[in-house]
Amino acid sequence: MATGLSAIFLENRPALLRFLRARGAGEDAEDLLQDMWMKLEAKDLGPVADPLPYLYRMANNLMLDRYRSGTRRARREQDWAEGAGGVMADSSDDTAIDERLILAQRLDEARAVLRSLGPRVELVFRRFRIEGVGQRVIAEELGVSLTTVEKDLQKAYRAMVALKQKLDTE
Amino acid sequence: MLHEEALGWVIRTRDPEFADWEAFTDWLEAAPTHASAYDALMVADADLALLVPAEPVTIGTPANDAGEQRRRPIGWIAGGAVAAMLVAALSIGIGRRGDIYTVTTRPGEKRSIALDDGTRIELNGGTTMRLDRNNSRFAALDSGEAAFTVRHDADNPFRVAVGDDLFEDAGTVFNIVRSKGATRIGVSEGKVIYNPKAEAIMLPAGRGLSEDASGVRVMDVAPGSVASWREGRLTYANAPVTQISADIARSLGVELSPTPTAGAMRFTGTIRLEPDPERFFATAAPLMGLSAVRQGGAWLLKEGDDPAR
Repeated sequence: MATGLSAIFLENRPALLRFLRARGAGEDAEDLLQDMWMKLEAKDLGPVADPLPYLYRMANNLMLDRYRSGTRRARREQDWAEGAGGVMADSSDDTAIDERLILAQRLDEARAVLRSLGPRVELVFRRFRIEGVGQRVIAEELGVSLTTVEKDLQKAYRAMVALKQKLDTE
Repeated sequence: MLHEEALGWVIRTRDPEFADWEAFTDWLEAAPTHASAYDALMVADADLALLVPAEPVTIGTPANDAGEQRRRPIGWIAGGAVAAMLVAALSIGIGRRGDIYTVTTRPGEKRSIALDDGTRIELNGGTTMRLDRNNSRFAALDSGEAAFTVRHDADNPFRVAVGDDLFEDAGTVFNIVRSKGATRIGVSEGKVIYNPKAEAIMLPAGRGLSEDASGVRVMDVAPGSVASWREGRLTYANAPVTQISADIARSLGVELSPTPTAGAMRFTGTIRLEPDPERFFATAAPLMGLSAVRQGGAWLLKEGDDPAR
Protein backbone atom coordinates (compact mmCIF):
# COMPACT_ATOMS: atom_id res chain seq x y z
CA MET A 1 0.00 0.00 0.00
CA ALA A 2 1.14 3.52 -0.71
CA THR A 3 2.45 4.83 2.60
CA GLY A 4 0.69 8.15 1.97
CA LEU A 5 -2.67 6.44 1.88
CA SER A 6 -2.10 4.53 5.13
CA ALA A 7 -1.01 7.70 6.91
CA ILE A 8 -4.11 9.48 5.69
CA PHE A 9 -6.26 6.55 6.75
CA LEU A 10 -4.88 6.67 10.28
CA GLU A 11 -5.12 10.45 10.46
CA ASN A 12 -8.77 10.42 9.41
CA ARG A 13 -9.85 7.27 11.21
CA PRO A 14 -12.24 9.15 13.58
CA ALA A 15 -13.88 11.00 10.68
CA LEU A 16 -14.28 7.77 8.67
CA LEU A 17 -15.73 6.03 11.72
CA ARG A 18 -18.20 8.87 12.19
CA PHE A 19 -19.13 8.61 8.52
CA LEU A 20 -19.71 4.84 8.66
CA ARG A 21 -21.89 5.25 11.77
CA ALA A 22 -23.92 8.03 10.12
CA ARG A 23 -24.20 5.82 7.06
CA GLY A 24 -25.99 3.23 9.20
CA ALA A 25 -23.18 0.81 10.10
CA GLY A 26 -24.02 1.05 13.82
CA GLU A 27 -21.93 -1.33 15.94
CA ASP A 28 -20.24 -2.79 12.86
CA ALA A 29 -18.54 0.50 12.01
CA GLU A 30 -15.27 -0.53 13.70
CA ASP A 31 -15.25 -3.89 11.90
CA LEU A 32 -15.91 -2.25 8.55
CA LEU A 33 -13.06 0.13 9.13
CA GLN A 34 -10.87 -2.88 9.88
CA ASP A 35 -12.03 -4.50 6.59
CA MET A 36 -11.09 -1.34 4.76
CA TRP A 37 -7.66 -1.37 6.33
CA MET A 38 -7.13 -5.00 5.27
CA LYS A 39 -8.23 -4.21 1.74
CA LEU A 40 -5.85 -1.27 1.56
CA GLU A 41 -3.04 -3.45 2.87
CA ALA A 42 -3.84 -6.26 0.45
CA LYS A 43 -3.64 -4.34 -2.78
CA ASP A 44 -0.88 -2.16 -3.99
CA LEU A 45 -2.78 0.89 -5.09
CA GLY A 46 0.06 3.12 -6.08
CA PRO A 47 -0.38 6.84 -5.78
CA VAL A 48 -3.99 8.00 -5.50
CA ALA A 49 -4.79 11.52 -6.68
CA ASP A 50 -7.16 12.52 -3.86
CA PRO A 51 -6.57 10.07 -1.01
CA LEU A 52 -9.20 11.23 1.48
CA PRO A 53 -12.15 11.32 -0.95
CA TYR A 54 -10.91 7.96 -2.19
CA LEU A 55 -11.13 6.49 1.32
CA TYR A 56 -14.59 7.95 1.88
CA ARG A 57 -15.75 6.55 -1.44
CA MET A 58 -14.41 3.15 -0.50
CA ALA A 59 -16.33 3.31 2.81
CA ASN A 60 -19.46 4.43 0.97
CA ASN A 61 -19.16 1.51 -1.48
CA LEU A 62 -18.75 -0.93 1.42
CA MET A 63 -22.03 0.32 2.89
CA LEU A 64 -23.74 0.05 -0.50
CA ASP A 65 -22.59 -3.56 -0.89
CA ARG A 66 -23.90 -4.27 2.59
CA TYR A 67 -27.25 -2.71 1.79
CA ARG A 68 -27.51 -4.63 -1.48
CA SER A 69 -26.69 -8.03 -0.01
CA GLY A 70 -29.13 -7.26 2.82
CA THR A 71 -32.04 -6.59 0.45
CA ARG A 72 -31.08 -9.56 -1.71
CA ARG A 73 -31.14 -11.88 1.29
CA ALA A 74 -34.52 -10.49 2.38
CA ARG A 75 -35.93 -11.13 -1.12
CA ARG A 76 -34.56 -14.68 -1.22
CA GLU A 77 -36.06 -15.47 2.15
CA GLN A 78 -39.39 -14.10 1.02
CA ASP A 79 -39.29 -16.14 -2.21
CA TRP A 80 -38.48 -19.18 -0.16
CA ALA A 81 -41.34 -18.54 2.27
CA GLU A 82 -43.77 -18.08 -0.61
CA GLY A 83 -42.40 -21.37 -1.95
CA ALA A 84 -43.16 -21.17 -5.68
CA GLY A 85 -44.46 -24.75 -6.02
CA GLY A 86 -41.72 -25.95 -3.72
CA VAL A 87 -39.15 -25.55 -6.50
CA MET A 88 -36.38 -23.04 -6.21
CA ALA A 89 -36.23 -21.85 -9.78
CA ASP A 90 -32.97 -20.35 -10.90
CA SER A 91 -34.46 -17.34 -12.58
CA SER A 92 -31.26 -16.56 -14.46
CA ASP A 93 -31.29 -19.54 -16.81
CA ASP A 94 -34.58 -20.38 -18.48
CA THR A 95 -35.92 -16.91 -19.13
CA ALA A 96 -33.33 -15.84 -21.67
CA ILE A 97 -35.68 -15.01 -24.54
CA ASP A 98 -38.41 -13.35 -22.48
CA GLU A 99 -35.80 -11.38 -20.65
CA ARG A 100 -34.29 -10.19 -23.88
CA LEU A 101 -37.65 -9.01 -25.21
CA ILE A 102 -38.50 -7.25 -21.99
CA LEU A 103 -35.07 -5.70 -21.84
CA ALA A 104 -35.43 -4.41 -25.40
CA GLN A 105 -38.84 -2.89 -24.59
CA ARG A 106 -37.47 -1.27 -21.48
CA LEU A 107 -34.54 0.18 -23.34
CA ASP A 108 -36.92 1.72 -25.87
CA GLU A 109 -39.06 3.14 -23.13
CA ALA A 110 -36.08 4.59 -21.28
CA ARG A 111 -34.77 6.12 -24.49
CA ALA A 112 -38.16 7.74 -25.15
CA VAL A 113 -38.35 9.17 -21.64
CA LEU A 114 -34.84 10.60 -21.90
CA ARG A 115 -35.56 12.03 -25.32
CA SER A 116 -38.73 13.73 -24.08
CA LEU A 117 -36.66 15.76 -21.60
CA GLY A 118 -34.91 17.60 -24.40
CA PRO A 119 -31.50 17.16 -26.00
CA ARG A 120 -29.44 19.03 -23.42
CA VAL A 121 -30.91 17.16 -20.45
CA GLU A 122 -30.40 13.86 -22.26
CA LEU A 123 -26.85 14.72 -23.15
CA VAL A 124 -26.00 15.87 -19.61
CA PHE A 125 -27.47 12.70 -18.14
CA ARG A 126 -25.69 10.38 -20.54
CA ARG A 127 -22.39 12.16 -20.08
CA PHE A 128 -22.70 12.06 -16.30
CA ARG A 129 -24.36 8.75 -15.59
CA ILE A 130 -23.24 6.54 -18.49
CA GLU A 131 -19.85 8.00 -19.35
CA GLY A 132 -18.90 8.99 -15.80
CA VAL A 133 -17.94 12.59 -16.56
CA GLY A 134 -18.16 15.09 -13.67
CA GLN A 135 -20.62 17.98 -13.57
CA ARG A 136 -17.96 20.68 -13.67
CA VAL A 137 -16.43 19.23 -16.84
CA ILE A 138 -19.86 18.85 -18.48
CA ALA A 139 -20.67 22.50 -17.68
CA GLU A 140 -17.40 23.55 -19.32
CA GLU A 141 -18.01 21.37 -22.35
CA LEU A 142 -21.46 22.80 -22.90
CA GLY A 143 -20.58 26.35 -21.93
CA VAL A 144 -23.40 26.50 -19.34
CA SER A 145 -23.34 27.13 -15.59
CA LEU A 146 -22.83 24.37 -13.05
CA THR A 147 -26.31 25.12 -11.65
CA THR A 148 -27.83 24.40 -15.07
CA VAL A 149 -26.07 21.04 -15.20
CA GLU A 150 -27.23 20.22 -11.66
CA LYS A 151 -30.83 21.09 -12.51
CA ASP A 152 -30.72 19.08 -15.74
CA LEU A 153 -29.40 16.08 -13.85
CA GLN A 154 -32.07 16.28 -11.17
CA LYS A 155 -34.72 16.49 -13.85
CA ALA A 156 -33.34 13.47 -15.70
CA TYR A 157 -32.87 11.48 -12.50
CA ARG A 158 -36.43 12.18 -11.31
CA ALA A 159 -37.80 10.94 -14.64
CA MET A 160 -35.56 7.89 -14.77
CA VAL A 161 -36.14 6.84 -11.17
CA ALA A 162 -39.91 7.22 -11.72
CA LEU A 163 -39.64 5.06 -14.84
CA LYS A 164 -37.62 2.49 -12.95
CA GLN A 165 -40.25 2.31 -10.18
CA LYS A 166 -42.99 1.95 -12.78
CA LEU A 167 -41.12 -0.89 -14.54
CA ASP A 168 -40.45 -2.64 -11.24
CA THR A 169 -44.16 -2.80 -10.41
CA GLU A 170 -45.18 -4.02 -13.89
CA MET B 1 -42.48 9.77 -2.74
CA LEU B 2 -39.06 10.70 -4.04
CA HIS B 3 -36.65 11.91 -1.39
CA GLU B 4 -35.38 15.06 -3.08
CA GLU B 5 -32.53 15.67 -0.65
CA ALA B 6 -31.33 12.09 -0.92
CA LEU B 7 -31.45 12.36 -4.72
CA GLY B 8 -29.32 15.48 -4.52
CA TRP B 9 -26.72 13.55 -2.52
CA VAL B 10 -26.84 10.59 -4.91
CA ILE B 11 -26.00 12.92 -7.78
CA ARG B 12 -23.35 14.77 -5.81
CA THR B 13 -21.56 11.69 -4.46
CA ARG B 14 -21.68 10.05 -7.88
CA ASP B 15 -19.67 12.90 -9.34
CA PRO B 16 -16.06 11.76 -9.81
CA GLU B 17 -14.90 15.11 -8.38
CA PHE B 18 -17.05 14.98 -5.24
CA ALA B 19 -14.99 15.74 -2.15
CA ASP B 20 -17.26 17.22 0.55
CA TRP B 21 -17.82 14.02 2.51
CA GLU B 22 -18.06 15.93 5.78
CA ALA B 23 -21.14 17.80 4.59
CA PHE B 24 -22.57 14.47 3.49
CA THR B 25 -21.85 13.01 6.95
CA ASP B 26 -23.63 15.99 8.53
CA TRP B 27 -26.68 15.39 6.37
CA LEU B 28 -26.71 11.67 7.22
CA GLU B 29 -26.50 12.44 10.94
CA ALA B 30 -29.39 14.91 10.72
CA ALA B 31 -31.98 12.09 10.54
CA PRO B 32 -31.75 8.30 10.81
CA THR B 33 -33.96 7.90 7.71
CA HIS B 34 -31.46 9.71 5.49
CA ALA B 35 -29.06 6.77 5.13
CA SER B 36 -31.75 4.33 3.98
CA ALA B 37 -33.31 6.87 1.59
CA TYR B 38 -29.85 7.38 0.09
CA ASP B 39 -29.19 3.62 -0.16
CA ALA B 40 -32.52 2.98 -1.88
CA LEU B 41 -31.85 5.68 -4.47
CA MET B 42 -28.25 4.52 -5.03
CA VAL B 43 -29.58 1.05 -5.84
CA ALA B 44 -32.11 2.57 -8.25
CA ASP B 45 -29.24 4.58 -9.74
CA ALA B 46 -27.19 1.42 -10.22
CA ASP B 47 -30.01 -0.10 -12.28
CA LEU B 48 -30.18 2.92 -14.57
CA ALA B 49 -27.06 1.68 -16.34
CA LEU B 50 -29.15 -1.27 -17.55
CA LEU B 51 -31.87 1.01 -18.84
CA VAL B 52 -29.68 3.42 -20.73
CA PRO B 53 -27.12 1.75 -22.96
CA ALA B 54 -24.11 3.82 -23.91
CA GLU B 55 -24.51 5.84 -27.06
CA PRO B 56 -21.80 8.12 -28.27
CA VAL B 57 -22.59 11.70 -27.40
CA THR B 58 -21.10 14.45 -29.50
CA ILE B 59 -20.64 17.86 -28.07
CA GLY B 60 -19.99 20.99 -30.08
CA THR B 61 -16.98 22.61 -28.51
CA PRO B 62 -17.30 26.38 -28.06
CA ALA B 63 -15.09 28.13 -30.60
CA ASN B 64 -13.04 30.02 -28.00
CA ASP B 65 -12.40 26.93 -25.94
CA ALA B 66 -9.25 24.83 -25.91
CA GLY B 67 -11.54 21.83 -25.66
CA GLU B 68 -9.29 18.86 -26.31
CA GLN B 69 -6.38 19.99 -24.20
CA ARG B 70 -8.47 19.96 -21.07
CA ARG B 71 -8.48 16.18 -20.95
CA ARG B 72 -5.06 15.60 -19.47
CA PRO B 73 -3.89 12.00 -19.38
CA ILE B 74 -3.36 12.12 -15.61
CA GLY B 75 -6.90 13.31 -15.03
CA TRP B 76 -8.19 10.49 -17.19
CA ILE B 77 -6.43 7.83 -15.28
CA ALA B 78 -7.26 9.11 -11.80
CA GLY B 79 -10.88 9.83 -12.74
CA GLY B 80 -11.07 6.56 -14.58
CA ALA B 81 -9.97 4.57 -11.58
CA VAL B 82 -12.80 6.00 -9.53
CA ALA B 83 -15.30 5.55 -12.34
CA ALA B 84 -14.12 1.98 -12.85
CA MET B 85 -14.64 1.34 -9.18
CA LEU B 86 -18.19 2.67 -9.41
CA VAL B 87 -18.97 0.77 -12.55
CA ALA B 88 -17.49 -2.51 -11.34
CA ALA B 89 -20.47 -3.12 -9.07
CA LEU B 90 -22.93 -2.55 -11.89
CA SER B 91 -21.54 -4.66 -14.68
CA ILE B 92 -24.08 -7.01 -16.19
CA GLY B 93 -23.78 -10.36 -17.87
CA ILE B 94 -26.25 -10.46 -20.73
CA GLY B 95 -24.34 -13.04 -22.77
CA ARG B 96 -25.06 -16.59 -21.77
CA ARG B 97 -22.24 -19.07 -21.50
CA GLY B 98 -23.58 -21.63 -23.96
CA ASP B 99 -23.68 -19.16 -26.83
CA ILE B 100 -20.04 -18.20 -26.72
CA TYR B 101 -17.70 -19.84 -29.23
CA THR B 102 -14.01 -19.48 -29.82
CA VAL B 103 -12.21 -18.83 -33.10
CA THR B 104 -8.45 -19.31 -33.30
CA THR B 105 -5.80 -18.96 -36.00
CA ARG B 106 -2.39 -20.61 -36.04
CA PRO B 107 0.65 -18.37 -36.40
CA GLY B 108 0.91 -17.40 -40.08
CA GLU B 109 -2.74 -18.22 -40.73
CA LYS B 110 -5.27 -15.50 -41.58
CA ARG B 111 -8.98 -15.77 -41.32
CA SER B 112 -11.93 -13.54 -42.07
CA ILE B 113 -15.25 -13.77 -40.24
CA ALA B 114 -18.47 -12.16 -41.43
CA LEU B 115 -20.96 -11.54 -38.65
CA ASP B 116 -24.72 -11.49 -39.17
CA ASP B 117 -24.94 -7.75 -38.83
CA GLY B 118 -22.53 -7.04 -41.70
CA THR B 119 -19.47 -6.55 -39.52
CA ARG B 120 -16.24 -8.13 -40.74
CA ILE B 121 -13.45 -9.30 -38.48
CA GLU B 122 -10.09 -10.26 -39.95
CA LEU B 123 -7.89 -12.35 -37.69
CA ASN B 124 -4.14 -12.25 -38.08
CA GLY B 125 -2.09 -15.33 -37.18
CA GLY B 126 -1.80 -16.60 -33.60
CA THR B 127 -5.10 -15.10 -32.52
CA THR B 128 -7.81 -16.29 -30.14
CA MET B 129 -11.17 -14.59 -30.16
CA ARG B 130 -14.51 -15.35 -28.53
CA LEU B 131 -17.83 -14.50 -30.18
CA ASP B 132 -21.44 -14.73 -29.07
CA ARG B 133 -23.94 -16.55 -31.31
CA ASN B 134 -26.80 -14.53 -29.85
CA ASN B 135 -25.11 -11.19 -29.95
CA SER B 136 -23.32 -10.24 -33.14
CA ARG B 137 -22.34 -6.89 -31.62
CA PHE B 138 -19.77 -8.33 -29.25
CA ALA B 139 -16.31 -9.88 -29.51
CA ALA B 140 -13.58 -10.65 -26.98
CA LEU B 141 -9.98 -10.60 -28.17
CA ASP B 142 -8.03 -12.87 -25.82
CA SER B 143 -4.70 -12.78 -27.64
CA GLY B 144 -3.26 -11.87 -31.03
CA GLU B 145 -4.40 -9.29 -33.54
CA ALA B 146 -7.61 -8.52 -35.39
CA ALA B 147 -8.96 -5.81 -37.68
CA PHE B 148 -12.60 -4.80 -37.31
CA THR B 149 -14.72 -3.26 -40.05
CA VAL B 150 -17.88 -2.49 -38.16
CA ARG B 151 -21.30 -1.75 -39.55
CA HIS B 152 -22.25 1.14 -37.34
CA ASP B 153 -25.50 1.21 -35.40
CA ALA B 154 -25.75 4.09 -32.94
CA ASP B 155 -28.48 2.31 -30.98
CA ASN B 156 -26.45 -0.84 -30.61
CA PRO B 157 -22.73 -0.16 -30.70
CA PHE B 158 -20.24 -2.92 -31.44
CA ARG B 159 -18.06 -3.72 -28.42
CA VAL B 160 -14.74 -5.50 -28.17
CA ALA B 161 -13.52 -6.71 -24.79
CA VAL B 162 -9.75 -6.99 -24.41
CA GLY B 163 -8.77 -8.16 -20.94
CA ASP B 164 -10.43 -5.73 -18.57
CA ASP B 165 -10.81 -3.07 -21.23
CA LEU B 166 -13.72 -2.35 -23.48
CA PHE B 167 -13.58 -0.70 -26.90
CA GLU B 168 -16.80 0.59 -28.36
CA ASP B 169 -17.17 1.53 -32.01
CA ALA B 170 -18.73 4.70 -33.25
CA GLY B 171 -18.67 3.89 -37.01
CA THR B 172 -15.36 2.33 -37.50
CA VAL B 173 -12.44 0.44 -38.96
CA PHE B 174 -9.90 -0.40 -36.28
CA ASN B 175 -7.18 -2.85 -35.39
CA ILE B 176 -6.40 -4.31 -31.97
CA VAL B 177 -3.31 -6.21 -30.86
CA ARG B 178 -3.31 -8.09 -27.59
CA SER B 179 0.00 -9.48 -26.42
CA LYS B 180 1.30 -10.46 -23.02
CA GLY B 181 0.33 -7.62 -20.69
CA ALA B 182 -0.14 -5.03 -23.40
CA THR B 183 -2.94 -3.87 -25.68
CA ARG B 184 -2.63 -1.61 -28.74
CA ILE B 185 -5.38 -0.16 -30.86
CA GLY B 186 -5.22 1.94 -34.02
CA VAL B 187 -8.25 3.58 -35.63
CA SER B 188 -8.32 4.14 -39.39
CA GLU B 189 -11.93 5.23 -39.94
CA GLY B 190 -14.68 6.59 -37.73
CA LYS B 191 -14.24 6.58 -33.99
CA VAL B 192 -13.71 4.16 -31.11
CA ILE B 193 -14.39 4.80 -27.42
CA TYR B 194 -11.98 3.21 -24.97
CA ASN B 195 -13.69 1.98 -21.77
CA PRO B 196 -16.89 4.00 -22.30
CA LYS B 197 -17.93 3.60 -18.69
CA ALA B 198 -14.61 4.56 -17.16
CA GLU B 199 -11.95 6.59 -18.94
CA ALA B 200 -14.23 7.13 -21.97
CA ILE B 201 -11.36 8.15 -24.22
CA MET B 202 -12.50 9.04 -27.74
CA LEU B 203 -10.19 7.74 -30.44
CA PRO B 204 -10.99 9.27 -33.84
CA ALA B 205 -9.39 8.10 -37.09
CA GLY B 206 -5.65 8.65 -36.97
CA ARG B 207 -5.40 8.08 -33.23
CA GLY B 208 -4.14 5.05 -31.39
CA LEU B 209 -3.91 3.95 -27.80
CA SER B 210 -1.58 1.60 -26.03
CA GLU B 211 -1.94 0.17 -22.57
CA ASP B 212 0.58 -1.77 -20.56
CA ALA B 213 1.92 -1.94 -17.02
CA SER B 214 3.18 1.63 -17.29
CA GLY B 215 -0.27 2.99 -18.04
CA VAL B 216 -2.39 4.25 -20.91
CA ARG B 217 -0.95 6.34 -23.73
CA VAL B 218 -2.73 7.98 -26.64
CA MET B 219 -0.77 8.66 -29.81
CA ASP B 220 -1.13 9.59 -33.47
CA VAL B 221 -1.11 6.79 -36.04
CA ALA B 222 -1.18 7.00 -39.83
CA PRO B 223 -4.74 5.88 -40.74
CA GLY B 224 -3.33 4.09 -43.80
CA SER B 225 -0.99 2.03 -41.66
CA VAL B 226 -3.71 0.60 -39.41
CA ALA B 227 -4.12 -3.13 -40.02
CA SER B 228 -1.72 -2.88 -42.97
CA TRP B 229 -0.84 -6.56 -42.29
CA ARG B 230 -3.94 -7.33 -44.34
CA GLU B 231 -2.16 -5.86 -47.40
CA GLY B 232 1.12 -7.57 -46.56
CA ARG B 233 2.76 -4.53 -44.98
CA LEU B 234 3.72 -3.58 -41.45
CA THR B 235 4.01 0.17 -40.89
CA TYR B 236 5.55 1.74 -37.81
CA ALA B 237 6.36 5.08 -36.29
CA ASN B 238 9.03 4.84 -33.60
CA ALA B 239 7.90 1.36 -32.51
CA PRO B 240 10.08 -0.84 -30.28
CA VAL B 241 11.59 -3.89 -32.00
CA THR B 242 10.03 -6.22 -29.38
CA GLN B 243 6.61 -5.18 -30.65
CA ILE B 244 7.66 -5.47 -34.30
CA SER B 245 9.07 -8.96 -33.84
CA ALA B 246 5.83 -10.10 -32.18
CA ASP B 247 3.93 -8.71 -35.20
CA ILE B 248 6.26 -10.47 -37.64
CA ALA B 249 5.99 -13.77 -35.76
CA ARG B 250 2.21 -13.56 -35.86
CA SER B 251 2.02 -12.57 -39.51
CA LEU B 252 4.58 -15.02 -40.90
CA GLY B 253 4.08 -17.89 -38.48
CA VAL B 254 7.71 -18.03 -37.43
CA GLU B 255 9.23 -18.17 -34.00
CA LEU B 256 11.15 -14.95 -33.56
CA SER B 257 12.82 -13.20 -30.65
CA PRO B 258 15.11 -10.18 -30.44
CA THR B 259 18.18 -9.93 -28.23
CA PRO B 260 17.58 -7.49 -25.33
CA THR B 261 19.62 -4.77 -27.03
CA ALA B 262 17.89 -5.25 -30.38
CA GLY B 263 14.49 -5.42 -28.69
CA ALA B 264 14.95 -2.02 -27.12
CA MET B 265 15.74 -0.37 -30.46
CA ARG B 266 13.07 1.55 -32.32
CA PHE B 267 12.04 1.60 -35.95
CA THR B 268 10.09 3.93 -38.20
CA GLY B 269 9.05 2.78 -41.67
CA THR B 270 7.25 0.11 -43.66
CA ILE B 271 8.24 -3.53 -43.84
CA ARG B 272 6.91 -5.62 -46.72
CA LEU B 273 5.79 -9.06 -45.61
CA GLU B 274 7.02 -12.02 -47.62
CA PRO B 275 5.93 -15.61 -46.99
CA ASP B 276 9.42 -17.09 -47.25
CA PRO B 277 11.21 -16.23 -43.96
CA GLU B 278 14.68 -16.47 -45.53
CA ARG B 279 13.89 -13.87 -48.15
CA PHE B 280 11.85 -11.78 -45.75
CA PHE B 281 14.60 -11.37 -43.18
CA ALA B 282 17.21 -10.75 -45.90
CA THR B 283 15.53 -7.41 -46.67
CA ALA B 284 13.58 -6.66 -43.47
CA ALA B 285 16.39 -7.05 -40.93
CA PRO B 286 18.85 -4.60 -42.58
CA LEU B 287 15.94 -2.17 -42.95
CA MET B 288 15.71 -2.06 -39.17
CA GLY B 289 19.48 -1.88 -38.81
CA LEU B 290 19.47 -5.43 -37.48
CA SER B 291 20.44 -8.87 -38.61
CA ALA B 292 18.48 -12.10 -38.40
CA VAL B 293 20.03 -15.47 -37.70
CA ARG B 294 18.38 -18.84 -37.89
CA GLN B 295 18.66 -20.99 -34.78
CA GLY B 296 17.11 -24.35 -35.45
CA GLY B 297 13.43 -23.69 -36.14
CA ALA B 298 13.51 -20.19 -34.69
CA TRP B 299 14.89 -16.82 -35.69
CA LEU B 300 16.90 -14.36 -33.64
CA LEU B 301 17.05 -10.63 -34.34
CA LYS B 302 20.28 -9.02 -33.21
CA GLU B 303 21.92 -5.65 -33.38
CA GLY B 304 24.26 -4.83 -36.28
CA ASP B 305 23.39 -5.56 -39.89
CA ASP B 306 26.24 -7.92 -40.53
CA PRO B 307 24.98 -11.45 -39.87
CA ALA B 308 28.51 -12.82 -39.73
CA ARG B 309 29.54 -10.72 -36.74
